[in-house]
Amino acid sequence: MIITRKKDRKELLENVRRYKSFFLLGCSECATLCGTGGQEQLDELKGLLESEGRAVAGAFVAKTGCQVLGTKVELKRFKEELGKTDCVIVLSCGAGTQSAVEIFEDKAVYPSNDSMFLGNMTRLQMFDERCSLCGECILDKTGGICPVTACPKGILNGPCGGTKDGHCEVSAEIPCAWVRIYERMEKIGRLEDFKAGTLAAKNWSASVKPRKLTARGVPEKPQASRGGREEKK
Amino acid sequence: MSFQEALNSGKFIVTAEVGPPKGTDIETLRHDIELLKGKVDALNVTDNQSAVMRICSLAICKIVMEHGAEPILQMTCRDRNRIGLQSDLLGADVLGIRNVLCMTGDHVLAGDHKGAKPVYDLESVQLLGAVDSLNNGKDMSGNDLRGGTHFFQGAVVTPEANPLAPQLAKFEKKIRAGARFFQTQAIYDIEKFKDFMEFARKFPVKVLAGFVILKSAGMANFLNKNVPGIRVPEDLIEELKAAGKEKALETGMDIAARHIRRLRDEKICDGIHIMAIGMEDKVPVIMQKAGLL
Ligand code: SF4
Ligand code: SF4
Repeated sequence: MIITRKKDRKELLENVRRYKSFFLLGCSECATLCGTGGQEQLDELKGLLESEGRAVAGAFVAKTGCQVLGTKVELKRFKEELGKTDCVIVLSCGAGTQSAVEIFEDKAVYPSNDSMFLGNMTRLQMFDERCSLCGECILDKTGGICPVTACPKGILNGPCGGTKDGHCEVSAEIPCAWVRIYERMEKIGRLEDFKAGTLAAKNWSASVKPRKLTARGVPEKPQASRGGREEKK
Repeated sequence: MSFQEALNSGKFIVTAEVGPPKGTDIETLRHDIELLKGKVDALNVTDNQSAVMRICSLAICKIVMEHGAEPILQMTCRDRNRIGLQSDLLGADVLGIRNVLCMTGDHVLAGDHKGAKPVYDLESVQLLGAVDSLNNGKDMSGNDLRGGTHFFQGAVVTPEANPLAPQLAKFEKKIRAGARFFQTQAIYDIEKFKDFMEFARKFPVKVLAGFVILKSAGMANFLNKNVPGIRVPEDLIEELKAAGKEKALETGMDIAARHIRRLRDEKICDGIHIMAIGMEDKVPVIMQKAGLL
């Protein structure tokens, strides 16, 4: 899911200082699980704005904020409230915020959160990043652990000289990705693959922004490009 | 005799290093180069060491050559993408630089521009592959070059890494990618280093043992605590402690000389890489003590 963090409230109030009447839009998916865009956070922000003497015309937790069409349909019943609003504050991720920008062509839209990464939830409201959406997955080559993400240097062929007792040079709180990969490949009996194979430099053209995909009726991606694949010598 | 020829001659090799300064005043650096030239076989020039911004390694390699010494261009993948790296390699070649040491490089967070975007488009193994390819007249995309490069390429290895097995696997990958010589992270436990060398001797590569000059017990403890892959054994720390404040550096140099003699006399490895870190003037003293001058 997309991990978000609340922006500093002072900063948010400063950003929207010129507006008088607000509509608050949350999201029932990731932002709710992150505690940044559920009903509770909407109520909280409403209270804050009202305590500052601003009006909150309406508030709604969308089902899936990044789904533009669905959100637009859901918002139809708030026509009256939205009519009184001069600013929409979106309590979800940057994608949800930009759905609102598309829906409200002539209204100011402000983000209430910082969007951070694609994360796994390990425990309640605890997240870590395991995939950085590089566009050409190499988990098949690395025992299922992603070095592009788990190693701060994105090294593809084994640990750097910075490993210290299995931890990363960047922080003792990060286990070295390559020690983990090595140990896992050993456990699943694939160590020989790791030793024998050298991964070529990744093909970053697979993640040139902005990316777009039409999944409807499209066949599988043809021939994978060479990057991040085993080098033949 | 070039560094490569010296390594192949079977003679015990000595390399040292100079760190480009932060700023354009290179008087001290020139002085250090003068002091070391003719004594060591080659001089490593570090590449924005510890991710601290300084003069680029390439320019200082050229300065080293002007003084009549042979440089080893250290190249990290932290600050340049594959276009920048290959382009600098071509540039290094036409300047006459022949030795290149390929490294991934300390993370930006270790340095003095923590907000910089770390590049790491390639890493050490892939950079070695790129050098090999340029040597063979092609760039990384397979395009023909009008004139290939002439590099003697090396890499680094950490014999004291914990855990060791993944590090050794990477060492093998570096060799497959074209590394012809290695300079190791500093080693102090020679018995343990012998085990590593027994493994390394299976491959057709030259190995120079790394050594950081110890100037006090405090410094040894600092290395143990803060530098990954360095382990100064307790008995050496005791020896430095027993020497007292006045004599500690002298003892540190004696330890260095003793190690070098042993590495050479027992033919444990092909040479030594002395990292003086600001004590460049001590390198000739150590070499003399070790009977190398
Ligand atoms: S290799 Fe790419 S797609 Fe696969 S987990 Fe890593 S970042 Fe994600
Ligand atoms: S210590 Fe491990 S995780 Fe950290 S940068 Fe080096 S290889 Fe990557």
